[in-house]
Amino acid sequence: MTDDKDVLRDVWFGRIPTCFTLYQDEITEREAEPYYLLLPRISYLTLVTDKVKKHFQKVMRQEEVNEIWFEYEGTPLKWHYPIGLLFDLHASNTALPWSITVHFKNFPEKDLLHCHSKDVIEAHFMACIKEADALKHKSQVINEMQKKDHKQLWMGLQNDKFDQFWAINRKLMEYPPEDSGFRYIPFRIYQATTERPFIQKLFRPISSGGELHTLGDLLKDVCPSAIAPEDGEQKTQVMIHGIEPMLETPIQWLSEHMSYPDNFLHISIIPRPTD
Amino acid sequence: MSCSMAGEEDCFLEEKRFKQYCEEFIKLSQQIGDGWEWRTSKDLGDGYLSKTHFQVRNRSIPPDLKEENNDNVEQSLFTHVEEALDDSQVAGVYETEVIRYEYHVLYSSSYQVPVLYFRACFLDGRPLTLDEIWKSVHACYQARLLEGPWDTITQQAPLLVLVNTTGIYSAVFSVQA
Repeated sequence: MTDDKDVLRDVWFGRIPTCFTLYQDEITEREAEPYYLLLPRISYLTLVTDKVKKHFQKVMRQEEVNEIWFEYEGTPLKWHYPIGLLFDLHASNTALPWSITVHFKNFPEKDLLHCHSKDVIEAHFMACIKEADALKHKSQVINEMQKKDHKQLWMGLQNDKFDQFWAINRKLMEYPPEDSGFRYIPFRIYQATTERPFIQKLFRPISSGGELHTLGDLLKDVCPSAIAPEDGEQKTQVMIHGIEPMLETPIQWLSEHMSYPDNFLHISIIPRPTD
Repeated sequence: MSCSMAGEEDCFLEEKRFKQYCEEFIKLSQQIGDGWEWRTSKDLGDGYLSKTHFQVRNRSIPPDLKEENNDNVEQSLFTHVEEALDDSQVAGVYETEVIRYEYHVLYSSSYQVPVLYFRACFLDGRPLTLDEIWKSVHACYQARLLEGPWDTITQQAPLLVLVNTTGIYSAVFSVQA
Protein backbone atom coordinates (compact mmCIF):
# COMPACT_ATOMS: atom_id res chain seq x y z
CA MET A 1 0.00 0.00 0.00
CA THR A 2 1.48 3.35 -0.99
CA ASP A 3 -0.26 4.92 1.99
CA ASP A 4 1.97 3.09 4.45
CA LYS A 5 5.11 4.96 3.43
CA ASP A 6 3.20 8.22 3.78
CA VAL A 7 2.48 7.32 7.39
CA LEU A 8 6.22 7.05 8.07
CA ARG A 9 6.73 10.55 6.69
CA ASP A 10 3.74 12.00 8.54
CA VAL A 11 5.09 10.61 11.80
CA TRP A 12 8.63 11.88 11.13
CA PHE A 13 7.59 15.42 10.14
CA GLY A 14 4.98 16.00 12.85
CA ARG A 15 5.51 19.34 14.60
CA ILE A 16 4.12 21.07 17.70
CA PRO A 17 4.02 24.87 17.78
CA THR A 18 5.51 25.87 21.11
CA CYS A 19 5.97 29.10 23.04
CA PHE A 20 8.90 29.17 25.46
CA THR A 21 8.71 31.67 28.32
CA LEU A 22 11.42 32.31 30.89
CA TYR A 23 10.44 31.56 34.46
CA GLN A 24 9.60 34.81 36.23
CA ASP A 25 12.04 34.26 39.11
CA GLU A 26 15.06 33.93 36.84
CA ILE A 27 17.26 36.99 37.16
CA THR A 28 17.57 38.96 33.94
CA GLU A 29 19.27 42.17 32.90
CA ARG A 30 16.37 43.15 30.70
CA GLU A 31 12.96 41.72 29.87
CA ALA A 32 12.95 38.32 28.21
CA GLU A 33 10.70 37.98 25.18
CA PRO A 34 9.02 34.61 24.67
CA TYR A 35 10.52 32.40 21.99
CA TYR A 36 8.44 30.50 19.45
CA LEU A 37 9.54 27.23 17.88
CA LEU A 38 8.05 24.30 15.97
CA LEU A 39 9.16 21.23 17.91
CA PRO A 40 9.60 17.89 16.12
CA ARG A 41 7.37 15.30 17.79
CA ILE A 42 9.92 12.56 17.26
CA SER A 43 12.88 14.31 18.86
CA TYR A 44 13.99 15.23 22.39
CA LEU A 45 13.75 18.62 24.10
CA THR A 46 17.46 19.02 24.83
CA LEU A 47 18.36 18.08 21.26
CA VAL A 48 16.31 20.80 19.56
CA THR A 49 16.36 23.77 21.96
CA ASP A 50 19.84 25.24 21.51
CA LYS A 51 18.22 28.35 19.99
CA VAL A 52 15.90 28.65 22.98
CA LYS A 53 18.84 28.53 25.36
CA LYS A 54 20.80 31.13 23.37
CA HIS A 55 17.78 33.43 23.20
CA PHE A 56 17.33 33.56 26.99
CA GLN A 57 21.02 33.57 27.79
CA LYS A 58 21.27 36.87 25.92
CA VAL A 59 19.29 38.61 28.66
CA MET A 60 20.94 36.88 31.59
CA ARG A 61 24.27 37.22 33.28
CA GLN A 62 26.68 34.33 32.70
CA GLU A 63 26.74 33.38 36.38
CA GLU A 64 22.95 32.98 36.50
CA VAL A 65 22.95 30.38 33.73
CA ASN A 66 23.05 26.75 34.78
CA GLU A 67 21.69 23.63 33.12
CA ILE A 68 18.46 24.40 31.27
CA TRP A 69 15.29 22.54 32.17
CA PHE A 70 11.68 22.78 31.06
CA GLU A 71 8.40 22.69 32.85
CA TYR A 72 4.73 22.64 31.86
CA GLU A 73 2.14 23.82 34.41
CA GLY A 74 4.39 22.90 37.30
CA THR A 75 5.47 19.52 35.94
CA PRO A 76 9.17 19.21 35.03
CA LEU A 77 9.37 17.79 31.52
CA LYS A 78 11.54 14.70 31.19
CA TRP A 79 13.85 15.41 28.28
CA HIS A 80 14.45 11.69 27.80
CA TYR A 81 10.82 11.24 26.72
CA PRO A 82 10.15 12.12 23.07
CA ILE A 83 8.54 15.54 22.64
CA GLY A 84 5.38 14.14 21.03
CA LEU A 85 4.86 11.84 24.00
CA LEU A 86 5.25 14.73 26.47
CA PHE A 87 2.71 16.80 24.55
CA ASP A 88 0.16 13.98 24.15
CA LEU A 89 0.45 13.08 27.81
CA HIS A 90 0.31 16.55 29.34
CA ALA A 91 -1.19 19.02 26.88
CA SER A 92 -2.91 17.37 23.98
CA ASN A 93 -6.36 18.79 24.64
CA THR A 94 -5.23 22.33 25.35
CA ALA A 95 -5.01 25.27 23.00
CA LEU A 96 -1.92 25.75 20.85
CA PRO A 97 0.78 26.95 21.05
CA TRP A 98 2.09 24.67 23.79
CA SER A 99 3.37 26.95 26.57
CA ILE A 100 6.58 25.70 28.13
CA THR A 101 8.42 27.48 30.94
CA VAL A 102 12.22 27.64 30.81
CA HIS A 103 14.37 27.38 33.95
CA PHE A 104 18.08 27.78 34.63
CA LYS A 105 18.03 27.39 38.41
CA ASN A 106 16.96 24.81 41.00
CA PHE A 107 17.34 21.79 38.78
CA PRO A 108 14.82 19.20 40.08
CA GLU A 109 17.20 16.34 40.85
CA LYS A 110 14.41 14.04 41.88
CA ASP A 111 12.44 14.38 38.67
CA LEU A 112 14.89 14.86 35.84
CA LEU A 113 18.02 13.28 34.49
CA HIS A 114 20.89 15.63 33.75
CA CYS A 115 21.77 16.31 30.17
CA HIS A 116 25.17 17.97 30.02
CA SER A 117 25.87 17.15 26.38
CA LYS A 118 24.46 15.63 23.21
CA ASP A 119 26.34 12.42 24.06
CA VAL A 120 23.87 11.85 26.88
CA ILE A 121 20.94 12.02 24.47
CA GLU A 122 22.69 9.76 21.97
CA ALA A 123 23.43 7.18 24.67
CA HIS A 124 19.82 7.18 25.82
CA PHE A 125 18.48 7.00 22.25
CA MET A 126 20.75 4.10 21.32
CA ALA A 127 19.92 2.26 24.54
CA CYS A 128 16.22 2.42 23.63
CA ILE A 129 16.88 1.18 20.10
CA LYS A 130 18.92 -1.71 21.48
CA GLU A 131 16.23 -2.65 23.94
CA ALA A 132 13.58 -2.52 21.20
CA ASP A 133 15.67 -4.86 19.05
CA ALA A 134 16.19 -7.20 21.98
CA LEU A 135 12.40 -7.51 22.06
CA LYS A 136 11.88 -7.72 18.29
CA HIS A 137 14.82 -9.82 17.17
CA LYS A 138 16.72 -10.99 20.27
CA SER A 139 19.18 -8.19 19.39
CA GLN A 140 20.31 -10.04 16.24
CA VAL A 141 19.68 -7.21 13.80
CA ILE A 142 21.19 -4.42 15.89
CA ASN A 143 24.24 -6.53 16.78
CA GLU A 144 24.91 -7.41 13.14
CA MET A 145 25.04 -3.73 12.21
CA GLN A 146 28.33 -1.89 12.17
CA LYS A 147 29.06 1.02 14.46
CA LYS A 148 28.67 3.40 11.53
CA ASP A 149 25.10 2.18 11.00
CA HIS A 150 24.30 2.92 14.63
CA LYS A 151 25.83 6.33 14.16
CA GLN A 152 23.71 6.90 11.07
CA LEU A 153 20.51 6.31 13.05
CA TRP A 154 21.58 8.97 15.55
CA MET A 155 22.76 11.42 12.89
CA GLY A 156 19.52 10.97 10.95
CA LEU A 157 17.54 11.92 14.05
CA GLN A 158 19.84 14.75 15.06
CA ASN A 159 19.85 16.32 11.59
CA ASP A 160 16.20 15.59 10.80
CA LYS A 161 17.10 13.45 7.77
CA PHE A 162 14.27 11.00 7.10
CA ASP A 163 16.02 9.10 4.29
CA GLN A 164 19.31 8.81 6.13
CA PHE A 165 17.52 7.44 9.20
CA TRP A 166 15.23 5.01 7.40
CA ALA A 167 18.01 3.60 5.20
CA ILE A 168 19.15 1.83 8.37
CA ASN A 169 15.95 1.71 10.40
CA ARG A 170 14.14 -0.32 7.74
CA LYS A 171 16.35 -3.28 8.69
CA LEU A 172 15.06 -3.01 12.27
CA MET A 173 11.51 -3.24 10.88
CA GLU A 174 12.03 -6.48 8.98
CA TYR A 175 11.33 -10.00 10.18
CA PRO A 176 12.07 -13.49 8.83
CA PRO A 177 9.65 -14.57 6.06
CA GLU A 178 8.59 -17.62 8.04
CA ASP A 179 7.34 -15.38 10.89
CA SER A 180 4.40 -13.02 10.60
CA GLY A 181 5.93 -10.34 12.74
CA PHE A 182 8.37 -9.44 15.50
CA ARG A 183 9.06 -11.66 18.48
CA TYR A 184 7.66 -9.14 20.95
CA ILE A 185 6.37 -5.60 20.38
CA PRO A 186 8.39 -2.76 21.93
CA PHE A 187 5.83 -0.50 23.58
CA ARG A 188 5.36 1.66 26.66
CA ILE A 189 2.03 2.90 27.98
CA TYR A 190 1.93 6.14 29.95
CA GLN A 191 -0.77 7.60 32.15
CA ALA A 192 -0.27 11.00 33.75
CA THR A 193 -2.53 10.00 36.61
CA THR A 194 -0.52 7.10 37.95
CA GLU A 195 2.69 7.00 40.01
CA ARG A 196 4.24 4.42 37.80
CA PRO A 197 6.42 5.84 35.01
CA PHE A 198 5.02 3.45 32.38
CA ILE A 199 3.79 -0.04 31.68
CA GLN A 200 6.00 -2.28 29.60
CA LYS A 201 5.44 -6.01 29.25
CA LEU A 202 6.21 -8.85 26.87
CA PHE A 203 3.51 -8.99 24.21
CA ARG A 204 3.47 -11.05 21.04
CA PRO A 205 2.05 -9.55 17.84
CA ILE A 206 0.63 -12.89 16.67
CA SER A 207 -1.61 -15.21 18.64
CA SER A 208 -0.84 -18.88 18.97
CA GLY A 209 -3.57 -19.44 16.38
CA GLY A 210 -1.73 -17.23 13.89
CA GLU A 211 -4.03 -14.20 14.15
CA LEU A 212 -2.75 -10.65 14.31
CA HIS A 213 -3.17 -9.09 17.75
CA THR A 214 -4.70 -5.64 17.73
CA LEU A 215 -4.14 -2.48 19.75
CA GLY A 216 -7.31 -3.39 21.64
CA ASP A 217 -5.86 -6.81 22.47
CA LEU A 218 -2.72 -5.18 23.84
CA LEU A 219 -4.67 -2.78 26.03
CA LYS A 220 -6.98 -5.51 27.33
CA ASP A 221 -3.94 -7.50 28.31
CA VAL A 222 -1.74 -4.88 29.98
CA CYS A 223 -4.00 -1.92 30.78
CA PRO A 224 -7.63 -3.03 30.88
CA SER A 225 -8.79 0.19 32.58
CA ALA A 226 -8.05 2.03 29.34
CA ILE A 227 -10.78 0.18 27.51
CA ALA A 228 -14.36 1.06 28.26
CA PRO A 229 -16.65 -1.65 29.55
CA GLU A 230 -19.11 -2.90 26.91
CA ASP A 231 -21.95 -0.81 28.20
CA GLY A 232 -20.01 2.08 29.57
CA GLU A 233 -18.69 5.36 28.23
CA GLN A 234 -15.18 5.60 26.94
CA LYS A 235 -13.62 7.82 29.60
CA THR A 236 -10.12 7.79 28.17
CA GLN A 237 -8.32 8.44 24.93
CA VAL A 238 -5.59 6.15 23.64
CA MET A 239 -3.19 8.42 21.82
CA ILE A 240 -0.12 7.89 19.65
CA HIS A 241 1.47 10.80 17.78
CA GLY A 242 -1.53 12.98 18.52
CA ILE A 243 -4.11 10.64 17.02
CA GLU A 244 -6.36 7.89 18.32
CA PRO A 245 -5.73 4.80 16.20
CA MET A 246 -8.64 2.40 15.86
CA LEU A 247 -8.45 -0.34 18.46
CA GLU A 248 -8.78 -2.90 15.64
CA THR A 249 -5.42 -1.85 14.18
CA PRO A 250 -2.95 -4.75 14.15
CA ILE A 251 -0.22 -4.02 16.69
CA GLN A 252 2.43 -5.35 14.29
CA TRP A 253 1.44 -2.66 11.76
CA LEU A 254 1.50 0.01 14.47
CA SER A 255 4.94 -1.10 15.56
CA GLU A 256 6.30 -0.90 12.01
CA HIS A 257 4.70 2.41 11.09
CA MET A 258 4.04 4.43 14.22
CA SER A 259 6.98 3.74 16.43
CA TYR A 260 9.18 6.64 17.39
CA PRO A 261 12.75 6.66 16.01
CA ASP A 262 13.78 4.77 19.16
CA ASN A 263 11.64 1.92 17.78
CA PHE A 264 9.20 2.02 20.67
CA LEU A 265 5.46 2.66 20.46
CA HIS A 266 4.92 5.32 23.15
CA ILE A 267 1.21 5.25 23.94
CA SER A 268 -0.57 7.82 26.12
CA ILE A 269 -3.77 7.12 28.02
CA ILE A 270 -5.38 10.43 28.84
CA PRO A 271 -8.75 11.55 30.15
CA ARG A 272 -11.24 12.16 27.37
CA PRO A 273 -12.28 15.83 27.34
CA THR A 274 -15.87 16.21 28.50
CA ASP A 275 -17.05 18.94 26.15
CA MET B 1 24.52 -20.58 35.14
CA SER B 2 26.92 -21.34 32.34
CA CYS B 3 27.37 -19.33 29.24
CA SER B 4 29.24 -20.23 26.10
CA MET B 5 31.98 -17.69 25.45
CA ALA B 6 31.98 -18.46 21.74
CA GLY B 7 28.60 -16.77 21.67
CA GLU B 8 26.91 -19.71 20.04
CA GLU B 9 24.51 -20.13 22.94
CA ASP B 10 22.35 -17.24 23.99
CA CYS B 11 22.89 -16.14 27.54
CA PHE B 12 19.43 -15.82 29.00
CA LEU B 13 17.93 -16.41 32.39
CA GLU B 14 14.28 -17.17 32.68
CA GLU B 15 12.37 -15.04 35.16
CA LYS B 16 11.27 -17.87 37.48
CA ARG B 17 14.86 -19.06 37.71
CA PHE B 18 15.94 -15.49 38.44
CA LYS B 19 13.59 -15.44 41.43
CA GLN B 20 14.82 -18.81 42.63
CA TYR B 21 18.44 -17.71 42.39
CA CYS B 22 17.57 -14.52 44.24
CA GLU B 23 16.10 -16.54 47.11
CA GLU B 24 19.30 -18.54 47.38
CA PHE B 25 21.34 -15.38 47.05
CA ILE B 26 19.46 -13.73 49.93
CA LYS B 27 19.99 -16.78 52.15
CA LEU B 28 23.73 -16.68 51.45
CA SER B 29 23.81 -12.96 52.05
CA GLN B 30 22.09 -13.37 55.41
CA GLN B 31 24.58 -16.05 56.42
CA ILE B 32 27.53 -13.78 55.81
CA GLY B 33 25.82 -10.55 56.88
CA ASP B 34 26.19 -8.95 53.48
CA GLY B 35 23.02 -6.86 53.64
CA TRP B 36 21.09 -7.88 50.53
CA GLU B 37 17.32 -8.03 50.90
CA TRP B 38 14.37 -8.90 48.71
CA ARG B 39 11.83 -6.18 48.16
CA THR B 40 8.52 -6.33 46.37
CA SER B 41 6.96 -3.51 44.43
CA LYS B 42 3.38 -2.89 45.49
CA ASP B 43 2.37 -2.18 41.94
CA LEU B 44 3.44 -5.45 40.44
CA GLY B 45 3.96 -8.88 41.87
CA ASP B 46 7.61 -8.56 40.92
CA GLY B 47 10.40 -8.09 43.35
CA TYR B 48 14.04 -7.22 43.24
CA LEU B 49 17.24 -7.49 45.23
CA SER B 50 18.26 -4.42 47.19
CA LYS B 51 21.28 -3.35 49.18
CA THR B 52 22.47 -0.09 50.68
CA HIS B 53 26.16 0.50 51.25
CA PHE B 54 28.07 3.40 52.72
CA GLN B 55 31.52 4.13 51.42
CA VAL B 56 33.92 6.26 53.36
CA ARG B 57 36.51 7.95 51.23
CA ASN B 58 39.48 10.01 52.17
CA ARG B 59 40.01 12.74 49.71
CA SER B 60 43.05 14.92 49.84
CA ILE B 61 42.59 18.61 49.28
CA PRO B 62 45.46 20.63 47.87
CA PRO B 63 46.60 23.17 50.49
CA ASP B 64 45.57 26.22 48.49
CA LEU B 65 41.95 25.06 48.49
CA LYS B 66 41.85 24.61 52.23
CA GLU B 67 40.96 28.23 52.80
CA GLU B 68 37.99 28.06 50.46
CA ASN B 69 36.71 24.87 52.01
CA ASN B 70 36.65 26.39 55.45
CA ASP B 71 33.62 28.38 54.41
CA ASN B 72 31.91 25.40 52.95
CA VAL B 73 31.65 22.68 55.54
CA GLU B 74 28.39 21.02 54.52
CA GLN B 75 29.99 17.70 53.64
CA SER B 76 33.40 17.47 54.97
CA LEU B 77 34.85 16.50 58.27
CA PHE B 78 38.48 17.44 58.58
CA THR B 79 40.31 14.50 59.98
CA HIS B 80 44.04 15.12 60.06
CA VAL B 81 46.90 16.86 58.40
CA GLU B 82 49.86 14.77 57.30
CA GLU B 83 53.43 15.91 57.12
CA ALA B 84 55.09 15.36 53.78
CA LEU B 85 57.56 12.53 53.82
CA ASP B 86 59.75 13.98 51.15
CA ASP B 87 60.34 17.38 49.69
CA SER B 88 58.52 16.64 46.46
CA GLN B 89 55.20 16.25 48.26
CA VAL B 90 53.36 19.20 49.65
CA ALA B 91 51.71 18.84 53.05
CA GLY B 92 48.11 17.91 52.40
CA VAL B 93 44.81 18.07 54.18
CA TYR B 94 42.45 15.12 54.03
CA GLU B 95 38.72 15.18 54.36
CA THR B 96 36.38 12.27 54.79
CA GLU B 97 33.38 12.03 52.57
CA VAL B 98 30.62 9.50 52.91
CA ILE B 99 28.80 8.23 49.87
CA ARG B 100 25.62 6.23 50.03
CA TYR B 101 25.21 3.59 47.33
CA GLU B 102 21.91 1.91 46.79
CA TYR B 103 21.93 -1.17 44.55
CA HIS B 104 18.98 -2.87 42.96
CA VAL B 105 19.03 -6.02 40.88
CA LEU B 106 15.95 -6.25 38.70
CA TYR B 107 14.91 -8.71 36.07
CA SER B 108 14.69 -7.21 32.60
CA SER B 109 12.05 -8.94 30.57
CA SER B 110 13.33 -7.15 27.46
CA TYR B 111 16.81 -8.60 27.72
CA GLN B 112 15.86 -11.64 29.78
CA VAL B 113 18.76 -11.07 32.12
CA PRO B 114 19.17 -9.46 35.52
CA VAL B 115 20.18 -5.81 35.42
CA LEU B 116 22.07 -3.94 38.13
CA TYR B 117 20.94 -0.43 38.90
CA PHE B 118 22.57 1.81 41.42
CA ARG B 119 22.21 5.26 42.86
CA ALA B 120 25.02 7.13 44.56
CA CYS B 121 24.65 10.24 46.64
CA PHE B 122 26.33 12.19 49.41
CA LEU B 123 24.82 12.25 52.87
CA ASP B 124 22.98 15.49 52.20
CA GLY B 125 21.13 13.78 49.34
CA ARG B 126 23.10 15.39 46.54
CA PRO B 127 23.61 12.76 43.84
CA LEU B 128 27.07 12.09 42.44
CA THR B 129 27.60 13.38 38.95
CA LEU B 130 28.30 10.89 36.20
CA ASP B 131 31.90 12.08 36.14
CA GLU B 132 32.27 11.39 39.83
CA ILE B 133 30.81 7.93 39.35
CA TRP B 134 33.06 7.13 36.42
CA LYS B 135 36.06 8.24 38.45
CA SER B 136 35.11 5.99 41.34
CA VAL B 137 35.04 2.83 39.23
CA HIS B 138 37.70 0.32 40.31
CA ALA B 139 41.05 0.67 38.58
CA CYS B 140 40.78 -2.69 36.85
CA TYR B 141 37.70 -1.53 34.93
CA GLN B 142 38.96 1.93 34.06
CA ALA B 143 40.43 0.87 30.71
CA ARG B 144 37.17 -0.56 29.52
CA LEU B 145 35.30 2.42 30.89
CA LEU B 146 37.48 4.88 29.01
CA GLU B 147 36.92 2.97 25.78
CA GLY B 148 33.17 3.19 26.00
CA PRO B 149 31.89 5.01 29.05
CA TRP B 150 28.36 5.10 27.80
CA ASP B 151 28.26 1.38 27.10
CA THR B 152 29.50 0.46 30.52
CA ILE B 153 27.65 2.70 32.87
CA THR B 154 24.68 4.62 31.58
CA GLN B 155 22.17 6.99 32.98
CA GLN B 156 18.71 5.59 33.21
CA ALA B 157 15.35 6.20 34.67
CA PRO B 158 13.93 3.25 36.54
CA LEU B 159 11.87 0.57 34.89
CA LEU B 160 9.57 0.11 37.83
CA VAL B 161 7.86 2.38 40.26
CA LEU B 162 10.44 3.47 42.71
CA VAL B 163 11.31 1.74 45.81
CA ASN B 164 11.44 4.96 47.73
CA THR B 165 10.63 8.52 46.91
CA THR B 166 13.99 9.83 45.95
CA GLY B 167 13.68 9.10 42.28
CA ILE B 168 16.06 8.39 39.58
CA TYR B 169 18.86 5.90 39.39
CA SER B 170 22.23 7.46 38.64
CA ALA B 171 23.37 4.65 36.48
CA VAL B 172 22.79 1.23 35.11
CA PHE B 173 25.40 -1.41 34.62
CA SER B 174 24.09 -3.96 32.22
CA VAL B 175 25.03 -7.59 32.71
CA GLN B 176 24.97 -7.97 28.94
CA ALA B 177 28.47 -8.15 27.51
